[in-house]
Amino acid sequence: MTSPIPPAIQINDLHYAYPPRIQGEAPVEILRGVNLQVDRGEFVALLGRVGAGKTTLCMTLNGLVPHATGGIFRGDVTVLGRNTKRHAIADLAQAAGLVFQDPETQLTQMRVEDEVAFGLENLGVPSEEIEERVMWALDAVGLAAYRDRSPLLLSGGEKQRVAIAAMLAMRPQVLVLDEPTANLDPAGKGSVFNLLARLAHERQITILLATQEIERVARYAGRVLILHDGRIGMDGAPAEIFSQAPRLREWGVGVPQLAELSDDLSRQTGRSYHFIRLGQAFAQLRAERSAGFANSRQVAPDELPTSNLQPPTSNLQRPTSNLQLDNVSFTYPDGTPALRDVSLTIGAGEFVALLGPNGSGKTTLAKHLNGLLKPARGRVLVAGRDTRPLRVAELARLVGYVFQNPDHQIFAATVEDEVAFGLRLRELPPAEVRQRVEAALAPFELAPWRDLPPALLGWGQRRQVALAAVLATQPQVLILDEPTGGLDSRSREDLMAVVAAYNRTGRTVLLITHDMRLAAEHAGRAVVMLDGRIAFDGRPAALFERRDVLAQAKLAVPPVVRLSQRLAPYGLTPGMLTCADFVTAWQALLRRTGATTPGTESRQAEDADGR
Amino acid sequence: MGARFDVYVRRHTWLYALDPRVKLALVAEAILFTFLWPTLWAAGAVSLACLGLLWLAQMPWGRIARFLRGIAALLIMVLVLTALFADGPGVVWLQLGFLRVTAAALMQGALLAARLLALGLIFFFWLSTTDQASMVRGFVALKMPYTWGLTLALALRYLPILAGLFEQVSEAQQARGLDLSQRRFGERLAAYRPVLIAMVISALRNGEWLGWALEARALGAMGARRSVFRPLRLRGTDLLALAALGSALLVGLALRML
Repeated sequence: MTSPIPPAIQINDLHYAYPPRIQGEAPVEILRGVNLQVDRGEFVALLGRVGAGKTTLCMTLNGLVPHATGGIFRGDVTVLGRNTKRHAIADLAQAAGLVFQDPETQLTQMRVEDEVAFGLENLGVPSEEIEERVMWALDAVGLAAYRDRSPLLLSGGEKQRVAIAAMLAMRPQVLVLDEPTANLDPAGKGSVFNLLARLAHERQITILLATQEIERVARYAGRVLILHDGRIGMDGAPAEIFSQAPRLREWGVGVPQLAELSDDLSRQTGRSYHFIRLGQAFAQLRAERSAGFANSRQVAPDELPTSNLQPPTSNLQRPTSNLQLDNVSFTYPDGTPALRDVSLTIGAGEFVALLGPNGSGKTTLAKHLNGLLKPARGRVLVAGRDTRPLRVAELARLVGYVFQNPDHQIFAATVEDEVAFGLRLRELPPAEVRQRVEAALAPFELAPWRDLPPALLGWGQRRQVALAAVLATQPQVLILDEPTGGLDSRSREDLMAVVAAYNRTGRTVLLITHDMRLAAEHAGRAVVMLDGRIAFDGRPAALFERRDVLAQAKLAVPPVVRLSQRLAPYGLTPGMLTCADFVTAWQALLRRTGATTPGTESRQAEDADGR
Repeated sequence: MGARFDVYVRRHTWLYALDPRVKLALVAEAILFTFLWPTLWAAGAVSLACLGLLWLAQMPWGRIARFLRGIAALLIMVLVLTALFADGPGVVWLQLGFLRVTAAALMQGALLAARLLALGLIFFFWLSTTDQASMVRGFVALKMPYTWGLTLALALRYLPILAGLFEQVSEAQQARGLDLSQRRFGERLAAYRPVLIAMVISALRNGEWLGWALEARALGAMGARRSVFRPLRLRGTDLLALAALGSALLVGLALRML
C-alpha cells in the first residue's frame, strides 16, 4: 500500500553499533537491519526488552545517533524528507522532537515559559512569535496556567509535560519519546498518554513512543512495533500484536493482562478467546456463559460462591511482629507533615504492598524503618528495638532498602565488589563474603559480568546488581521502592521471582509500588497511605472492593480483577487477583454448571499422568 | 525534600518588576556607599535603606527575621574576634591575660560587623526580589556572552538537584550499612568515598543526557542568530529608579569630597 504523502519516518536497513565500552573490546552491535515506515499522524508504540535498542532507535531519529554518540552507522534514516546523516542535530530539531525518560535532565530553565521558549530562542524565532508559540505549546499540554512557575516545583508528570511542550513549541511534525512515563505515578502516566493521543488525533503529529506501559499502549496506540534482536520483529495493530502472546512471552516482552488471560484461557480450556480490552473480555465471557449454560439464571449476590483461593503468602494472622510503628508522626524541616499518627504492625514473613499517590507518606514511612528518619512523635520498633538510639548502619543489618534508582547505590569498580560492599562493611570473613556474593549473583545470572564496572551495565542489570547487593547482606526485612519501573516483562518477572523466593524463607518484604498488578500478584497484604495516614490495611482483594479508597488514592484496579468483579453476578468466584486465579475460577465455573470444554478431559488426563 | 538554594520570594510589586540591570546598579551603589564612609552611620544607613526596600517589596518579616537570625552568629563572631585580636590604641576596656579589648578594636569590630550586615542585606534584597532567570538575563543584557549566561543558569538550576542527589546517594549508601557518623575527620572523609563516586557517576550520566537534551533543542543551530524571548527594555519606573540612583550617587560623592 502506498501513501499519497511522503512518510514522516522512513528507515532503510539501519545497522548501528556503539563504540566499545572498554578499550580493546568489539563495538556493541544493537540495531541489525531495521526497516520502518511511519505515516504522518500515526501514534506508534515501540516495545521491546530493556537493552533491545529502543533508546538507540529513538536517538537515530533526531541524529543524536550517530552524531553525538559515534559508533558504526549503516543504512538511512529519513525524517520528513531529511536524511539524518546529512543534517546536524540542532537542524533536525524542527523535524523531530525527542523527549527523554528523565525530565530532570532535559529541563534547563528556572521558569516554565523560559523552558518552552529556550529552543525557539536557539532557532532565532522572533520574540512576538515565541510568545505566541509558548502559549500554544503550554495550552496543548494543559499547562497554560503554569507558565510563571518554577519547573523544580512541579510534579513528575507536569515536568514531563513541560518537556513535551518545549519540543512542541519548535513545531516538529514528529515527536519521539523515550520511556517518558517510566518514573511517573499513575496520574502522571495517564496525563502524558492522554496528551499524546490528543496530539496525534487533533494535531496530526506523528508520535513514536518507546515504552513498557503495555496496558496503556493497548488503549491508546494505533500501531505497535516490537524491537527484537535488533530488528522490527512485529508490526501491526495492538490487537493483532497482543494476540501473539506466546511469541511475545518467548521474547520477554509483556502483553496486556487481558491478552495474557485470553491466551491462558485458550490454552487451559481448549476454547478460543480473543480479547485485550475489558469490554471485549466481558462481552465474550458473558456470552459464552449465557450460551453454554442456557438454563442458569443470573446469580443473586447472596448466592455468590466465596473465594476458596488462598492469597499469596497470606500472613494476616500477624505472626511475630518484627516491624512496629506506634502513633508515629513526622514533619519535614520545611514544615510539610508527612506522617500523622501512624500505627502499623508487620509480622515476620509478611509480603506487604505499600500503596498510595505521590507525597502520601510511603517513602517517609519506609525510611523510618531503617532509621534514615526518626519519628518526631511515637516510636518505631524493628525486631523489638527502638530505632531512635540506633544508627542507620546498625539497622542496615536488619533492614535492607533497595532504592528506586540503582545509580544512587552503584559506585564500585566491579559488580563483585559492589555486591560485596555491605558484607565487607560488616567485616565478615573473606570466605563467607565470597560465598554470599556467589549466592546473590546466581539468581540474576550476573556471574559473567562480575568483573565489569556495574555503571557500564544496562538499566535492568544495574537494578539487579542493586538488589543482589542488598540480598547478599541477608536482612530480615527487605524494602523495595518501585523496583520494577522501566523494566520489561521478563526482567520484572525474574526480579520479583527472586524477591518472592526471599520472602518464602520467612523474611519480610515491604514493596512500595504504584503497580497494582504487582501488588495483586505478590502481596498478601496491602497498606494504602493517604495524606500521611493509613487509609486501608488488609488483603489486596478487599482493597479492590473499596472504591472510595481506590478513588482517593488514585489507584487503578488490575484488568483481571475488574473483569472478575463484573463477572461475579454471573457466577464467577469473586476475588480473583491474577490470570492463574481467574483461569482456575473459570474452569471451576464450567465444571460447576456441568459444561464440558473441548479438550478438557484429555488435558486433565495429561495432568494426572504428569503427576 | 531537596535542599533549596534560592531565597527568591514571589511577589508582584513595582520593586520586583524593576529591570534586573537597575537592581544590579542599585546593588553596586549600595556597596559603594557602605565603603565610601568608614563609619557605623554609613553602614547603618545602608542597612536601614535595605530594610526599607524590603518593606516596600512586601517581603514577609518572618523571612527577614530568619535571615537576620542566620547572620547574627557571624556578626557576633566578627565583632568579638576583632575586638579581642585587633588591639590598637586608646582606652583599654578589658584585659584578659594577653588579650585586651581597646576602644579602637571594639570600634573596628563594630564597623566590620555593621558593614557585613549591610552587605548581607543588600544581597538578601537582590536575591529575594530577583529570580535566577532575570538575573542571568540581566547579565547577558550587560554583554556577558550567552554561553556564560547559560552555564550560570544551568549551575543555578542544578544546584538543588545536585544537593538532592547527594542526599539520596548518602541515604542509599547508609542503608547498605555505610556509617557516616561518629568518626574522625579522616575516617569520615574516607567513608564518603562511595557516596562521592556514586554521585559523580550519576552526575556524569545526567550531564551526558543534559548535553543531548540541549542539542535536541537546537542549541548551536547552524545559521540561526539566537533571539530573546523577553528582551529587556527599560520602562518608565526603571528610568525613574535609575535617575534616583544617579542623583543619590552624585550627592553621595559630593558629600564625601566635601
